[in-house]
Amino acid sequence: MSLRRQGTILFSAMLAFVGGAVVLQLWLLTVSVEALLSGAYKTLAPAAAGSSVLLLINAGLLRYVFRFDRDAQGE
Amino acid sequence: MKTRDEEQGCAGCKASSTPKWRQDFPIDWEGDHYVTRREMVKFLTLGSLLLASANWVTVVASKLLHRGSHVERLLGSASDLEKAGSMLFRYPTNDDPCIAVRTPEGNLVAYSQVCTHLSCAVVYDRTENGFFCPCHHGLFNLAGQPIAGPPTRPLPRVQLVQRGDQIFAVGMETL
Repeated sequence: MSLRRQGTILFSAMLAFVGGAVVLQLWLLTVSVEALLSGAYKTLAPAAAGSSVLLLINAGLLRYVFRFDRDAQGE
Repeated sequence: MKTRDEEQGCAGCKASSTPKWRQDFPIDWEGDHYVTRREMVKFLTLGSLLLASANWVTVVASKLLHRGSHVERLLGSASDLEKAGSMLFRYPTNDDPCIAVRTPEGNLVAYSQVCTHLSCAVVYDRTENGFFCPCHHGLFNLAGQPIAGPPTRPLPRVQLVQRGDQIFAVGMETL
């Protein structure tokens, strides 16, 4: 398998993972808003923490993309 | 006989099979709208940032809403509650209806009157020994837990303090 094809598969997988994480964050937000409106405040902080963890993972993957592009341009 | 392209002064159009209007306006719409995987990852990460921020906004909003739920308010006398069996009051704001009852064991308990199913007002049902929601026949026991009907979450509990004959609400317990 060529390096370019490997890169394409890698970036497709990353895109799928980030998309799935965003959908999960959207679900967490809907749960949080419902909990807020019903007065169940104890679930809000864990949901926000989980959403932040997903954000960090996504940001890490984006940083990898930037570094990959920078290294590719440097070669 | 001249072709249409030649009449319009586009002799090279036939060879390239490109319409003349396309040559005059050489904008590549497909290329312009093409989004690379990298751009999509950047866009989704930005969306991820916004969603995480919105989640923290709900946490801050809950703190602001919960701030006013620790004020002390006089509800009435215990003797009035004994006579009526239950007492309706509003706490922590005038928009939050609540209900207080004396349990058969003699404990004084109070809950939000708003049903956790669809926000109808629950009433004290002495025969069922609990709080009954007439809208969809939901039933909560005297601990505030749902025991029948559609509600799945317990009623928010009001913390009470009795000083002499007077009953005070001093806070709301979060779920």
